[in-house]
Amino acid sequence: MTKTAEPAITIRSMNKFYGSFHALKNIDLTVQHGERIVICGPSGSGKSTLIRCINHLEAHQSGNITVLGKALDNNILHIDEIRRDVGMVFQHFNLFPHMTVLENCVLAPMLVRKWPRAKAEELAMQYLEKVKIPEQAEKFPGQLSGGQQQRVAIARSLSMQPKVLLFDEPTSALDPEMISEVLDVMVALAKDGMTMLCVTHEMGFARQVADRVIFMDQGEIIEQNPPEEFFGNPQNERTQKFLSQILGH
Amino acid sequence: MAMTGEMGRLGLLATLREKYFSSLGNAALSIICFSILALIVWKFFDWAILSAVFSAANGPEACKATDGACWAVIDARWRLILFGLYPHEEHWRSALACGVVVVMTVLSCLPYFWNGRSISVIWIGGFLAFYFLMKGGILGMPVVDEQSWGGLSLTVFIFVTTVLVGTPLSILLALLRRSELPWISALTGIVIDSVRSLPLLTILFAFAVVLPFLLPDWASGDKLYRAIFGSALFFAAYQAEIIRGGMQGVPTGQEEAAKSLGIRYRHRIQRILLPQAFKNALPATINQFVITFKETSLFIIIGFFEILASGNAAYGTGNWTFAFVEVYAFIAMIYFVFVFSLSRYGAFLERRMDVGDH
Repeated sequence: MTKTAEPAITIRSMNKFYGSFHALKNIDLTVQHGERIVICGPSGSGKSTLIRCINHLEAHQSGNITVLGKALDNNILHIDEIRRDVGMVFQHFNLFPHMTVLENCVLAPMLVRKWPRAKAEELAMQYLEKVKIPEQAEKFPGQLSGGQQQRVAIARSLSMQPKVLLFDEPTSALDPEMISEVLDVMVALAKDGMTMLCVTHEMGFARQVADRVIFMDQGEIIEQNPPEEFFGNPQNERTQKFLSQILGH
Repeated sequence: MAMTGEMGRLGLLATLREKYFSSLGNAALSIICFSILALIVWKFFDWAILSAVFSAANGPEACKATDGACWAVIDARWRLILFGLYPHEEHWRSALACGVVVVMTVLSCLPYFWNGRSISVIWIGGFLAFYFLMKGGILGMPVVDEQSWGGLSLTVFIFVTTVLVGTPLSILLALLRRSELPWISALTGIVIDSVRSLPLLTILFAFAVVLPFLLPDWASGDKLYRAIFGSALFFAAYQAEIIRGGMQGVPTGQEEAAKSLGIRYRHRIQRILLPQAFKNALPATINQFVITFKETSLFIIIGFFEILASGNAAYGTGNWTFAFVEVYAFIAMIYFVFVFSLSRYGAFLERRMDVGDH
């Protein structure tokens, strides 16, 4: 097996508990480099928890997670090493409100990658252009609209030049008219070959870019298939019910 | 009464008429209130300026001949109030030391110097300059023991040192209190609550008087520093809770975002958590600083000649015993200048930090 053929993420028999509540049950998942995966499911199904386990924002209790060839354990050094290469975009953007847009983007590259400011700023501006917002670089997050903030959050993640990007319901907190500007950026990223795991209810996005759609319910992966198969011929009863609810109106 | 939002456009007369003279009853009430106010202002002006005696050249007798304020007591005793028992011919050192602290404070209030290196240089440099000016023993300046420090310089020294020692301590306590290890946070909670449940007076007594019995001689240090450490501990216990409150106002998403970027704990605290926590905690922090400044007067109890004690001495001796009102008014003015500047600066900081939040 060559190096590039090694999967980006491997999860084996992973379990996650909140106290006695079994949040994730026996998860097995392999993600190849460059693969685009959309995870959907009813609320409380564990989809956010699953991607938050990948960069250890949540700790798993049993099973193995390997990210970019590194095993994820409780060693903070290993965790930081993995987080450096795995970006995350949050539902509520979580931009740093006391810093300008540009400062938001260069902070981690300067602190973590130890890049000089000039290099970090040059790259950050490049990514701000990519999300079509370079003219807002000197503004504070509070002065931007929701859609603009989320695009800045994507640029902030990209400024670390991650190999994998995790999206945790990136459009759920947006006003309807701002959803498409964020989805456009995500589609462009997908076309560039970024490895992406997206928790989202945007089924149009899933059809357009996903290599695989995963359906979760009650902490389990119920079904995973390429989008044509997933939407055209859902196997499980629960998937059918979910799809009819979400697409039925 | 029609309160419109258009007062700015109305002339002064129209505004007056609408607000104070809109009916016969209102007009009568306004006239009575304005008259009383005018009378008070006039009486005060007459007492404080017109009939007052400013020069001590004619001694206390000149004061007794008038109804006005006897500022002559300040003229005669200002050195005692400002410098306490500090040796007379060395007063310039005490004054200069106060000036150093004022400059140091003003400099560190300027956003231009808000980076780790400048602030450290300003504070450590300023503090050392203050200390050696006061204490002497170098550059041919005679040694003046802490026991003889007094007046305004001592008050300023106690306040600045308390804050300087107490602030880092309070941040440490706040961070320990939110530790994920339960026994650390519980232990810190107990320390904070114990210190907070004691009166400052008790703590000052314990550190100044009781501690020397418990510690070996070499470890106990000067009484002044022990007392200041006690007051710093007291300050830190309160300030830690204020900062912790500020930290709780920072959404968990902030730390998660920083974690997801691979930023390490130390930098998450320094760059993400604390700046936002300080902002949230600012009004309460200014409050705490003001309280701490005024509480320096408690040092009088353990035998230090801070400004209030020097004031007592200023009118308590000789023939000036009748002029205590003027002395207290003068000291109140000094307190006012310090505390008012502090709160104006707090207001400036709040406006400045609001830049990004709309």
